[in-house]
Amino acid sequence: MASISEFFTSYFLWRDPMIVGAVSGAICGFLGVYVVLRRIIFVSAALTQISSLGVALAFYLQGLAIMGLIGALIDPFSISLILTSLAALFFALNRDFFPISQEGVIGFAFIIASGAVVIIGDRITKGAHDIADILFGSAVVVDPKDVYIVPLIALIVFIIHLVFFKDFIFISFDPETASLFKYPLRILNTILLISIGIVVSVTTRALGALPVFGLIALPPLTALFFTENLKLVFILSVVFGVLSAVLGYFFSFIISLPTGATIATLATLFFLLGLCWRGVKSIV
Amino acid sequence: MGSEPIIVLEDVSIGYNHTGFLESINLRIKRDEFWGILGPNGGGKTTLLKTILGLIPKVSGSLSHTDNLVFGYVPQRENFDRIYPISVSELMMMGRYSRIKVGRNPKKEDREFIGYFLEKLGISHLEKQTFRSLSGGEKQRALIARAIAGKPDILVLDEPTASVDLKGGTGVMELIENIRTEDKITVLMVSHFINTVSRFSDHVIAVDKDKGIFRSGLKEEVLRREIIDEIFD
Repeated sequence: MASISEFFTSYFLWRDPMIVGAVSGAICGFLGVYVVLRRIIFVSAALTQISSLGVALAFYLQGLAIMGLIGALIDPFSISLILTSLAALFFALNRDFFPISQEGVIGFAFIIASGAVVIIGDRITKGAHDIADILFGSAVVVDPKDVYIVPLIALIVFIIHLVFFKDFIFISFDPETASLFKYPLRILNTILLISIGIVVSVTTRALGALPVFGLIALPPLTALFFTENLKLVFILSVVFGVLSAVLGYFFSFIISLPTGATIATLATLFFLLGLCWRGVKSIV
Repeated sequence: MGSEPIIVLEDVSIGYNHTGFLESINLRIKRDEFWGILGPNGGGKTTLLKTILGLIPKVSGSLSHTDNLVFGYVPQRENFDRIYPISVSELMMMGRYSRIKVGRNPKKEDREFIGYFLEKLGISHLEKQTFRSLSGGEKQRALIARAIAGKPDILVLDEPTASVDLKGGTGVMELIENIRTEDKITVLMVSHFINTVSRFSDHVIAVDKDKGIFRSGLKEEVLRREIIDEIFD
């Protein structure tokens, strides 16, 4: 077990991952409010699998001799981002084209992506350990460019959501009246889901599927236990997301635990804290 | 009452997935009229209402309304998911969104409007409460306040007195009547309560898709014994 002073003296080890983790916790916590309120929690699970599929597909294509020099140009990050964005677009539009429920579509996407990741992963020529890190992220060490990419994308997405905040809430809460008022439902739903898809894609690459799913689902649920004010839900969700990521890194260092799982566990503990708070409030 | 209709349906067929279940609907709604849409549960009342609003595409026929017609819509309370912690003032502000573009935020005058309508409807004490925590009658008042906050030309209500007790229902209807009289708003209301429609409306639509019935006109013409028996038998 490491000491707290060792933690602070080793800041060069955890500074970059913690920056990426904190930003990821913040933006996932923020977007997670829409995911929870719209009851599409498993969309984020499906999107993390699709993001991983994009990475696996890129490495598979890179390894194909037939691709030649082109193979070297295939970037796993870009393929993952494109595939996840297309999936988000599909989720946004599917109601118009397919006579099946949203849950059915999400389940289908999750299963097919998960299966394809395993099959394609089996065919990739890189080492298995590298594949696992690349597919799921390690959360301990991040790609240096993620220190810039993740905050940049988080900032762009946050600005978009600030501008369209009232519109996203409106179409989520009362799509019928929004449609009556000629709000462009399809376009706004698409922007909302694609922004979630992009954030899921970049944060999954950096942290891993499990912590990202945890950071999207649990901080908003926790926030809803503490407040009845919508704007405060967003703020508290961001706070819980950041705390889960930062404390997750801290405890994983001190107690030598897997970082991704520790982040998810901290998010769970905050959730349980919120549950207890709600229970105490209802009794008092 | 105004002479030119603000909403016109000509030979309209309504239904779902390109399949009509009620055809040859002809309707002319004029300003300041109060139309009650009456019929049994599942009779097509809400489908007709939503087709008029443009929320459901018509299967065939012609549907038109005057340019820039502003609707104030009061949907059924069950439409809203209880998970949302939306306050009454936030809910009412949504009524102003018919006049606020996408990407723009409400202004000071919008907030003043909301304050005015909260007072007018006697629900200013509920301003900070969440919509989901309100009683049935309070929710109806809040939704009506939201609808009129957008200064609509036509107020459209879907079962405003359903799941509200008798006293509460009477209060809601008297509120609607006061708004209609003071603000000279056209009203289109779905209800399955004959007494409510009979007392407050001046024009009635009687509809039952299973029996292929569509009757419309002045209350006295439509609310005849044989038509009521035909629909509710």
